[in-house]
Amino acid sequence: MNATVHPLRKYARPHVTRTTTCPGCGNGIATQAILRAIEELDLRMDDFVFVSGIGCSAWIPSPFFAADTLHTTHGRPVAFATGVKLGLPEKHVMVVSGDGDLTAIGGNHLIHAARRNIGLTVVLMNNGIYGMTGGQTAPTTPRGISTVTSPYGSLEHSFDIAPMIVSAGAAYVARWTTHHPRQLTKAIKKGLTKKGFALIEVVTQCPVQFGRASKLGGAVEILKHFKSNSVRIEKARKMDPAELLGKIVVGEFVDIEKPELSSEWTRLIHSMREGRQ
Amino acid sequence: MSKVDVLSQNCKGVDQCGICKYVCPKDLYRDSKEMNSAGYIPPEMTDEASCTACENCMIYCPDMAIVVHKDAQDGPPAGEGSDD
Repeated sequence: MNATVHPLRKYARPHVTRTTTCPGCGNGIATQAILRAIEELDLRMDDFVFVSGIGCSAWIPSPFFAADTLHTTHGRPVAFATGVKLGLPEKHVMVVSGDGDLTAIGGNHLIHAARRNIGLTVVLMNNGIYGMTGGQTAPTTPRGISTVTSPYGSLEHSFDIAPMIVSAGAAYVARWTTHHPRQLTKAIKKGLTKKGFALIEVVTQCPVQFGRASKLGGAVEILKHFKSNSVRIEKARKMDPAELLGKIVVGEFVDIEKPELSSEWTRLIHSMREGRQ
Repeated sequence: MSKVDVLSQNCKGVDQCGICKYVCPKDLYRDSKEMNSAGYIPPEMTDEASCTACENCMIYCPDMAIVVHKDAQDGPPAGEGSDD
């Protein structure tokens, strides 16, 4: 018997012995990146509220993380998290959910939370498909990719999430793939320390639904695809849009300081109380 | 020099997943002979002496099934593996 315990195991609930994901799923890589960021920042799980919606990646915090977790209705984790942050502004409120949840059904909640610049850290797992429901085309499916509902290749253009959230007004936006777990950990650390809305988009592999229908292959083949098609944003800014077709632009899209909503509310409440006395 | 532990009960199989075999810069993993209780074949380390403790396998494993002890024995670690 092997008595070794994984160093990040201390952040998991003791009765949850296994991850809920399929073999080779990228969600596990992001799980470790989140927990490693929390460990490196020396934060306590008691200071966190994790909010997730519906989908495979919503199972990352719930039931795995030994913290307060809210597993909410489809598309609404950002709305729930907005309420939690305004009620408990001293907590780290982290939303972990997928592209189908946060950008398809819950797209409006996401852009408006970014517009308000409320202090949430959103880890958005983008696997480019509706994985849990059987592999249908999602708004994030890359153009030309075959899925079970687009067997001749998707004809639609896909959402480019990170730049969309930059335009919506977020204070911090980064995108990495599961081939970049160290950079991903650094981005999550930055997002957690950011005063304002932080979005970390994780381009991840779904070897079971995406890999089979698109014929891209298993986990390792999709990771190789991420490696060969990732372009740093600094380099991408100097490239033609035609050259960037089919590429994944990775890096930090924005990192700015601007007033954060929950602290603005706290400030207003204090000033009103002082005015009354 | 380092020490690597494969938590074989957590593994979801080198033939279905195999990320550890892919990310090892020294190609030190191979399929083990024994199946775990869930029916998956975990990897095994072939040559611990050649392992540089880059921690790639530990960081990439989606099921937290590999633990690398960086300071198991003396000798300088070779630094971070390339994942760029």
